[in-house]
Amino acid sequence: MELNKEQILIDRLLLKEEAAWKELFEVYSGNLTYVCSRYILDKDNVHDVLQNSFIKMFRSIESFQYRGNGSLRAWMSRIVVNESLTFLKQNSDFKNFVDDSELPDMTMDEEPDLQQIPEAVIMEMIRSLPEGYRTVFNLFVFEEKSHKEIAEVLGIAENSSASQFHRARVTLAQKIKEYKRLKIAQYE
Amino acid sequence: MSKEWFNRMRNKMEDHTEEPPEGLWDDIRKELFDDDQDKLMLPVSEIKAQKKVVSEKGLKNLFYKMSGTAAVLAFIIFGVVKLSEMYKKDNVSIVAKKQEKADTSNQLLNNRLSNNISENKNLSYSEPIISGSNKNFGTSDFLEKIEKYQQEILKPFRSNISENQLDNGLFFPNLSIARHDLVAADFNPETISEETKTLISKDEKTEKKELVKKRTKKAWMLGMLTGSTSQNSAEQFPGYATLNGASMSLSDEIWTAGYQDNPLTAILLANQDKPIDARIKHKIPVTFGLSVYRNLGKRWGIGTGINYTKLSTELRSGSESDYIKSDQSVHYIGIPVQVNYNVIKKGRFTGYVTAGALAEKAVSADIKTKYIVSNEVKEETNEEIDKKPLQFSVNSAVGLQFKIVDKIGVYAEPGVGYHFKDNSTITTVYKDKPFNFNVKFGLRLTID
Repeated sequence: MELNKEQILIDRLLLKEEAAWKELFEVYSGNLTYVCSRYILDKDNVHDVLQNSFIKMFRSIESFQYRGNGSLRAWMSRIVVNESLTFLKQNSDFKNFVDDSELPDMTMDEEPDLQQIPEAVIMEMIRSLPEGYRTVFNLFVFEEKSHKEIAEVLGIAENSSASQFHRARVTLAQKIKEYKRLKIAQYE
Repeated sequence: MSKEWFNRMRNKMEDHTEEPPEGLWDDIRKELFDDDQDKLMLPVSEIKAQKKVVSEKGLKNLFYKMSGTAAVLAFIIFGVVKLSEMYKKDNVSIVAKKQEKADTSNQLLNNRLSNNISENKNLSYSEPIISGSNKNFGTSDFLEKIEKYQQEILKPFRSNISENQLDNGLFFPNLSIARHDLVAADFNPETISEETKTLISKDEKTEKKELVKKRTKKAWMLGMLTGSTSQNSAEQFPGYATLNGASMSLSDEIWTAGYQDNPLTAILLANQDKPIDARIKHKIPVTFGLSVYRNLGKRWGIGTGINYTKLSTELRSGSESDYIKSDQSVHYIGIPVQVNYNVIKKGRFTGYVTAGALAEKAVSADIKTKYIVSNEVKEETNEEIDKKPLQFSVNSAVGLQFKIVDKIGVYAEPGVGYHFKDNSTITTVYKDKPFNFNVKFGLRLTID
């Protein structure tokens, strides 16, 4: 069987070849930085979490199983998300995130068109969410976790995860609406 | 906002990238790849190459090698002793002769070496430019120089590395020697002539070559250093003096011995109405050493080894034309014990603090005295000092190591030392200035 480029790289990673790890870093660090920055706002903390993640990858590459293209990236993302969560748990208490402030009345009937919104703007919107909302939102939307799983990981009640998520998406929808309104205002 | 919408969002953002934090890779690399190398700094390939040689040629050759080693070590010691005499005489022709000798000996020892000699010469000749412009340098200045130097030197090395592993071992010593020389030139620019420097480097190179051979596969690190205290010392006081610092009791001798054929009396008489003084000048101590070093965990390490130190003191007592001149040399062999603690690692640099103790035994000590009357040497005596003191000292230093390649680093260690009283009557710089500042330079290889 012909090995593809990614498999060759993995073989070299297993040999703990410095050049191979550098290559891995160069290819994936941008995307992983994005993944990490979704959870963690502070740049220095992102640096630390990513550093720990790469060390973890280095030490556990033996346990990685290649399952086709993209599996390496998925594996790396998982490690980064786990490290990010570990960091967040050490530095904040999710149980205290339940925010009872009034939510603006908002109907969820409209689904804003994402096509017109640049990635960087979406990123900023996610990052502007309060930490509790953001963490749950990230896990639910990007990591495709159920509220049960999220509750387990964060050590919160399941309905608490659901309510945080609800608040997150209301806030986000508001932000998107606001963005569009400004955009339209610009053109007029 | 349905599930579908979230999927669209996920897909849209899937390949999004953000600028990775600055210096992240450097930190990761340091964490993942530097640590391993701290534990093993000897090039593995080199060991392999040597093993091959040993197994191929067998035990018989090993014996020859060992006797060869002994011969080379003897040669080095001889070279060092001779060299120190040369410092005193400052005699260029002798130096040149010795150099010839060194050349042929080196060729006998290993033909391969001769290739490197030419390289080495190139290096040596470029030194005066650097040392000349930089006689009063600070440590930071010096490190800059080292870096510049390394850039130059590494270029040819990089091409070399793939070609011949054994040559690497030989090439590196040159690199560090060049630096030793640079140091020597800075400390003592007048007394060390160009030729002597070349000779030193050859001696050291042979020594290091031996090191390469003798290295075992244990988790020890072998290094060698040379160093020198930053100060020499001179004192001057009126009257006559002896090397133990006491004034001579003159009164009796002047009046009892009334004849000119006693040079001491002659000097005393000639100087009767002249202002006289005594000057004691301690020359800069010269140290060479070999060391083994072992890492204990990530940050701690201990080392020991063997050092050779030569202390010279010159006494000149009398007036301009009529005087007594004594040269005292004490040769010490010492055993240091050092503990290192690595404070910081940043890229190729490792900063560490070190502290340790050194026991030095004077193995040979003598005083050559010349009586000079009207600028003529009237009498010369040579006195062996029987009492050979044991000298203890403690020292502490901060060190900076720069990794040239994976397993080889050069280091500079500015530090302070304190020498305890040795209860002997010998006057040395240690006694005169027990507290001193010094700088050591060396090459360090770590072995797995």
